[in-house]
Amino acid sequence: MPVQAPIAITGLGALCGAGLTLSECMESMFRGERHPHPPIRFATDHPVSYLVLELRDGFKLPLDESEDVYSRTCQLALAAALEALADAGWNAETLRGKRVGVAVGTTVGCALNCDDFYRDYKGESEPDLGIMQRFLRSNPAAVIARQLQLDGPVQTVVNACSSGTDAIGIGASWLRTGACDIVIAGGADELLRVTYAGFSSLMITDTEPCRPFDISRKGLNLGEGAGILVLESDNVRRDKKAQGYLLGYGSACDAYHLTAPHPDGVGLKLAMHEAFTAAQVAPADITFVNTHGTGTPDNDRVEGRVLSEVLPGVPFLSTKGYTGHTLGAAGGLEAAFTVASLQRGEISSSIGFANPDPAVISTPVTQNTRIDGKIALSESLAFGGNNAVLILGKGDH
Amino acid sequence: MSVKEKLKRVLIEDLNLEDVEPEDITDDMALFDEGLGLDSLDAVELVVIVQKHFGVEIKDMVESRPAFQSINTLAKYIEERMP
Amino acid sequence: MRIGIQGIGLTGGFGSSVDSLHAALCSGTVVTQQGRVEHNGLIDTFPAYQASLDGLDEFIPKRALRRIDHCSRMTLFAAHLALKDAGMAEADRSRLGVIIASGYGPLKTTFDFLDSYLDFGYACSSPTHFSNSVHNAAAAHVSMQLKTTAPSLTVTQFEMSVPSALLTARQWLTEGRVDQVLFGAVDEQCDVLRYCRQQFFGDGEQGPLQPFAFDTQSAVVGEGAVFFLLTRDETAIYGHIDEVKLGNHAVSPIKISQDESLIIGADGHKECGQWYAQVAKKHATSAYTPLYGSFPAAAGFDLAVAALSMRENRLFVSPELTGAMPLTPTEPHPLDDAKLASLKFGKSGEYGLIRMSR
Repeated sequence: MPVQAPIAITGLGALCGAGLTLSECMESMFRGERHPHPPIRFATDHPVSYLVLELRDGFKLPLDESEDVYSRTCQLALAAALEALADAGWNAETLRGKRVGVAVGTTVGCALNCDDFYRDYKGESEPDLGIMQRFLRSNPAAVIARQLQLDGPVQTVVNACSSGTDAIGIGASWLRTGACDIVIAGGADELLRVTYAGFSSLMITDTEPCRPFDISRKGLNLGEGAGILVLESDNVRRDKKAQGYLLGYGSACDAYHLTAPHPDGVGLKLAMHEAFTAAQVAPADITFVNTHGTGTPDNDRVEGRVLSEVLPGVPFLSTKGYTGHTLGAAGGLEAAFTVASLQRGEISSSIGFANPDPAVISTPVTQNTRIDGKIALSESLAFGGNNAVLILGKGDH
Repeated sequence: MSVKEKLKRVLIEDLNLEDVEPEDITDDMALFDEGLGLDSLDAVELVVIVQKHFGVEIKDMVESRPAFQSINTLAKYIEERMP
Repeated sequence: MRIGIQGIGLTGGFGSSVDSLHAALCSGTVVTQQGRVEHNGLIDTFPAYQASLDGLDEFIPKRALRRIDHCSRMTLFAAHLALKDAGMAEADRSRLGVIIASGYGPLKTTFDFLDSYLDFGYACSSPTHFSNSVHNAAAAHVSMQLKTTAPSLTVTQFEMSVPSALLTARQWLTEGRVDQVLFGAVDEQCDVLRYCRQQFFGDGEQGPLQPFAFDTQSAVVGEGAVFFLLTRDETAIYGHIDEVKLGNHAVSPIKISQDESLIIGADGHKECGQWYAQVAKKHATSAYTPLYGSFPAAAGFDLAVAALSMRENRLFVSPELTGAMPLTPTEPHPLDDAKLASLKFGKSGEYGLIRMSR
């Protein structure tokens, strides 16, 4: 497996149920707050309500237009991208003439699951074609590139729950091979009734706040949001301080089952191995792990066991108790949180965990915890058996 | 049609078991792993099948696991709870 | 780094093999079938390029296909055909990456899932349909069937899906993450999409598909899957991919040299027509979409034509020349050392350019 040169991360942007900016998210996580609730934006006739984490009130559409023009997923992606760009000292004008790539992961953002449209189509009334036209305008990476008038590689990754992590890894590779000089990379997904129906049909959602790694965990809480990083090549960045560094990326498949992870974590271990080799670091160098940690029985069992084998004793947490499972956005959000936590020298508690599960073996941190090291790992496990890992380094601040 | 007969038919249809006839599924045959060879995704689909065709809700997979052993056990579970 | 194309597998309106695509290129004609959508008592019939799955059971037993939908079946079929064509059916797969581009993803299954709860209530939402409606389901089935743990990627980006995904295929090989990439593109027909297109374009999609009639809506519905076996090898029967470039022509005009012959992905959608028209005025351009139809993954079929042209050392004549520009080739001729590039535009000027040589 090849070595990958470190890539500077110069900007971070995040919004989700924990906050509308990265600093809001970090502050609420470190205060140990979470607000899962029954869905507000839509209704279903399920006999029970599964808790979710929608964006808080106060989210302002970045395009200053109604939600009819672009999908909510695109609006979230753009909002996070603008925050990350501002953090990196860029705006649309200063980017002009630069070679800028956009790599965004999503699941909902690309699916033609407009159930209101389809309900009308099946029924007597004529469906609103505006919904379809909005869908055809709304590819997340393409919208960012178009809105900022960028010229460069563009990619929307649809690798289910590892999309955001994969998009960041792919975007970094563009810089290494000179395909562009700046990359806007991460993930975005809105919460939709369709996804809510889908995950609850798999019986992996919880009617209570989720409990990642806990012995009584029943399932996940869905969320929504976007997490975006700005990556820069050194010739463009020059003396600008990096917020963090992307040291390595690895990915691999379980090749096992459409929805269940391999019980031995085959793909996750391969992805970790590739990332360690790429970053030229050893497991002993890792100061903490931001896990996938959805709170489902299967995921947490497999992940916990792999952590106990590959990274024994390394502090880890799941931030999904605070954000919910944001699907394509998760990898982007968690990369941003990991970089921010390295800067802060502290990780938040793994909310929702109280009692260990012997089958999981490892236990996450139960309070805010100081960390001294400079290298951390963020991982994502996806439907279809995709596993993706980022190794991130502390920045220059 | 008995619950067992109907169960076999809807299983074949909704799980798309194309080359299987109702007569091929014996009442005590294991539904999962050996026997019919269903897996965890079929298990949650089976919950939907039972809800849709018999009106019986299965809330907890762990609790109802014994019911999923065979046609016999599943039919009994359904008959006890049918509205 | 040059990326070699070692094998091709495909299924589309012209048939299910490289030979059938080659035959279609030589004859210049493909017969469409009749598509039919019934909605609110009205019946809409239209020409459609439909893909066949005859021969899939050579690779996968019927029982193993029970939960695999049409989109994934086309994908598996073309993937196996590509491996067979490359002589790699039995080869080691531990370093075989899988990358799939799809403009719309598994549409039928997406609507099947919506049916499950719209018709029967939310408690009857089908987990099987939901799992298969996730866009990387096809790639997951490929990895599972081939038992390959190497990296997997799915890209969904409407018309730009193929060039964008190919960029990553090239990256993975260049960086040495994998030793081969099974690179594919797939899109399927869908009644709902056809209904929408009919509402948008009226009767403008009754055929024939006239790619050079840039101001006219003449798209014809199509579907299919195409796969390529890509490696870093210097020798490649189907030629090499030298460069993959994405950009936006409206922001920074595309640079094409005079000695490049282009295969354009013009497929009868007039919204993209203006961009192709600009390029066709100044360069020798050919278009082959009348052989397979209008759908985002068709950009993969354009690449297959380019690859076949490399293998045969022959530029095939475009099958439908109505509206062709003066520089459009009208006779077949050898390529020799000529450069060939396939070019796909999106509605807003975004483009993907794939440069090839022998």
